[in-house]
Amino acid sequence: MPKIALSVNSQPVSHDVEGRLLLVDFIREVLGLTGTHVGCDTSQCGACVVHVNGQPVKSCTLLAVQADGADVTTIEGVSPDQGLNPLQQAFHEKHGLQCGFCTPGMVMTAMALIEDNPDPSDADIRHGLEGNICRCTGYQNIVEAVRTGAKVMRG
Amino acid sequence: MTDVTIGQPVRRSEDERFLTGRGRYIDDINLEGQARAVVLRSVYAHARIKNIDASGALAMEGVLLVVTGEDWIAEGFGPMPTKTAIRKNRDGSELSEPPRHCLAIGRVRYVGEPVALVVAETDPIARDALDLIDVDYESLDAVTDAVEALAPDAPQLWDDIPGNLCIDFELGDREGVEKAFAEADHVITLDLENNRVTAVPIEPRGCVGSYDPETDTYLLYNSTQNVHAIRDTLAENVFGIDKEKIRHIAPDVGGGFGVKNSAYPEPPLVLYAAKKLGRPVKWINNRSESFLSDTHGRGQTSRVQLAIDNDGTFRALRTETVAGIGAYCWTIGPFTPTGGSARTQGGPYDFPVMYYRSRAVFINTGPMDPYRGAGRPEATFQTERIIEYAARQLGLDPIEIRRKNLMRPEKLPHKTSMGLNIDCGDFPKVFERTLKLADPGSFAERAEQIKTAGRRFGFAIAPYLECTGGGPKEFAGVAFGADGTVSLSVGSQSTGMGHETSMAQLLAARLGIPFERVEYHQADTDKTPIGGGHGGSRGMELGGNAVAQAAGEVIEKASGLAAHLLQSKAADLTFEGGSFKDSGSGASVSMVEVIEASFDSERLPDDLEPGCLDTGSTFERGEISIPNGCHAAAVEVDPKTGAILLLGYWVVDDFGTIINPLLADGQVMGGVAQGIGQVLTENIVFDDSGQLITGSLMDYGLPRADGVPDMVIEYYEGAPTKKNPLGVKGAGEAGCVGSLPAVVNAVLDALKEFGVVHIDIPLTSEKVWRAVQDQGAHDPKGLIEGAL
Ligand code: FES
Ligand code: FES
Repeated sequence: MPKIALSVNSQPVSHDVEGRLLLVDFIREVLGLTGTHVGCDTSQCGACVVHVNGQPVKSCTLLAVQADGADVTTIEGVSPDQGLNPLQQAFHEKHGLQCGFCTPGMVMTAMALIEDNPDPSDADIRHGLEGNICRCTGYQNIVEAVRTGAKVMRG
Repeated sequence: MTDVTIGQPVRRSEDERFLTGRGRYIDDINLEGQARAVVLRSVYAHARIKNIDASGALAMEGVLLVVTGEDWIAEGFGPMPTKTAIRKNRDGSELSEPPRHCLAIGRVRYVGEPVALVVAETDPIARDALDLIDVDYESLDAVTDAVEALAPDAPQLWDDIPGNLCIDFELGDREGVEKAFAEADHVITLDLENNRVTAVPIEPRGCVGSYDPETDTYLLYNSTQNVHAIRDTLAENVFGIDKEKIRHIAPDVGGGFGVKNSAYPEPPLVLYAAKKLGRPVKWINNRSESFLSDTHGRGQTSRVQLAIDNDGTFRALRTETVAGIGAYCWTIGPFTPTGGSARTQGGPYDFPVMYYRSRAVFINTGPMDPYRGAGRPEATFQTERIIEYAARQLGLDPIEIRRKNLMRPEKLPHKTSMGLNIDCGDFPKVFERTLKLADPGSFAERAEQIKTAGRRFGFAIAPYLECTGGGPKEFAGVAFGADGTVSLSVGSQSTGMGHETSMAQLLAARLGIPFERVEYHQADTDKTPIGGGHGGSRGMELGGNAVAQAAGEVIEKASGLAAHLLQSKAADLTFEGGSFKDSGSGASVSMVEVIEASFDSERLPDDLEPGCLDTGSTFERGEISIPNGCHAAAVEVDPKTGAILLLGYWVVDDFGTIINPLLADGQVMGGVAQGIGQVLTENIVFDDSGQLITGSLMDYGLPRADGVPDMVIEYYEGAPTKKNPLGVKGAGEAGCVGSLPAVVNAVLDALKEFGVVHIDIPLTSEKVWRAVQDQGAHDPKGLIEGAL
């Protein structure tokens, strides 16, 4: 079994993994970080989005071995010990989540989107979230949450 | 004093855990020593099973158990019966119900049907072992289309059910309709299809089960919407044990929309395996398997006929439907296309007479069960499509004929020919308000600009009326803790709708206590003696009323203690703003103080014990309530490509009393988005041999962020229903009910200059483009003639 060493949420991690193990399963099952979700098996839903070296990535599209040496951040890594970060707070205020299953992936994608484009238009947001499916909210409140979160983060 | 009121947009208590990744969904639950199960599913739509050889799989390292249909029958386990409320054919005879076992017995009848369960040390081992089970099939002819399944020479699914007919149902006044048809100036006919779709909650189904030999009891964690009813089916029908022997818990559930309401085969298989192996067993569906094994919804082919006079007056409505329900009755498969679709025929219009007939038919596909709306979206679609179509055929203004025929508030209460008791509402007011929000005065200019760009503008309005459903009783229990917490356990269930907030809000507001003291519990058969779970927009109507009733009982009990504390008589006390007040002396004591006193032996009278304010209350619904409202949609369509863009969407809903408008908005937005999905891209397709063509998210088109418009949503709160004490009418499904016709009719409005009068959903670009090319050539009797 190959051994991988990487950083997850700023902690060094090393582990023997099966070659076929997906990054998402490594995160969930080996590390027990269950905030990252699995909603599909064809890389369509985005419930599994994490940041790999600062980029939003569907963690079901990578093998764990491909993340060897990488810097991985999951939803747990962007959440304060108490309370919510400004974008999470905006999701809460704007009712941008219902069942919550898509939510960690949405937040991770939206954080990267705001990083890239601190003042996104609604069209930018909708385009940027195209890879994340939400079946509950109809997206409207998510878009509003991202717009609001971006504004707060711009200061 | 409380910090919340009814009607306030209280932000959700559950959000923090979901936003930070601390939600606990089914796949996050792991029991010590658990094994993993996977299901071997049929690859044929119809075949005899000649032999199953599992020796290869059993020889594989790490494989613990293989269970086949023969093993299952040998254990003496029973089938899972349908719980449909509609059971009678038109002639009074009972519907036909084949036995539904958890594994196929001797014959498979749909692709995806469970053939065997494999349990192994890990999920990958179990999946690898699937390939080593050798099933010898003898393929049989399959039929996947309901109209074809009724043909005399169609393949037969069940030897003892002739003609594949499950039920032939009717409701209404057949002769009255015939008479009206003979007298009316016109009878307009349209065959239409409400395509088959599936709910796709983003969390797939799954369960984890264990068995305790010491107590001979099972524990089942399950991503379900209905712990009590499913527990009952497993205990009483499958295993033949007392229902108390199974504790059934749903953790956080990642969406349901009806699909998680059913009694599926996997949970009993998992419990059986857990007992057999003496260790917990976990099963998680993947998405592709979900498409094969989750229930689907809609899927109706109908002939709709409207009798209408020259001046636009509606005289009668008749609908004849044929619906494939899969190979089994499943949980309530025969209900949706029959009673579920019949009741709200005709919507909020004043139809003197109506008739509905529907046949539910067995076909070689996976199961059908409720999907958000469960018949009401279908009924509204039929009603609104025939009205729009008639307007186009007769050159009438579609807005005007709707306005003309809406039931006036003076007419209410009114019982329709479908037996629906419409008690209250103001349909014309809601209609006019929706139109005003949409601002049709601004359309001409917009349409002109869009046309200059080579596209076309379209608009439609769709009033709707629906009804609630689901279990008629609900339980709410309130228990106070010495530390000030208030535990609220409710038998209805949220799978994302936010009951942790809205039910707590309701209790806190009624009792006048701080909102954050309320700890909410749901979906655990040990926590509430009964529970109707989720379904039929029943959350507030049943669960909410149970909470309100329980709050009333707490106040009653507390008033006795308050009287003791104030040294007054309970009869002299009034309860307002969270305080009991003696009208004579003016002295008062707050509910919070009374609760504190209930744990203080110094202040408690001798005949009361700590916990004396606790209560458990069962609310029973008298009659289902009638949510109603109006949707309007504006679209632009590119006739050269068939592409559709939604420009605007407006909704005015009458849900009676609104407990939390923020959460109500969320329900409407999500429901509308699901309706838009069905109209534009979602579609379940089988090929002729019964293979599912749309078996993954690559092939099944869910709406994405750039395909759903912003919506303007308002509520009409002028007509709270008297059918229940809270005056609520149910909000969960209405978004799906109004959106199908609003969007379709808007698209057809955009295409009117091309003569396009009808396209069956989904309105894919290809279909739209073809309809434009064909200049609207269309056979209004092209779908169902052969089956009438
Ligand atoms: S689980 Fe990764 S995209 Fe769906
Ligand atoms: S909140 Fe349920 S899928 Fe997005």
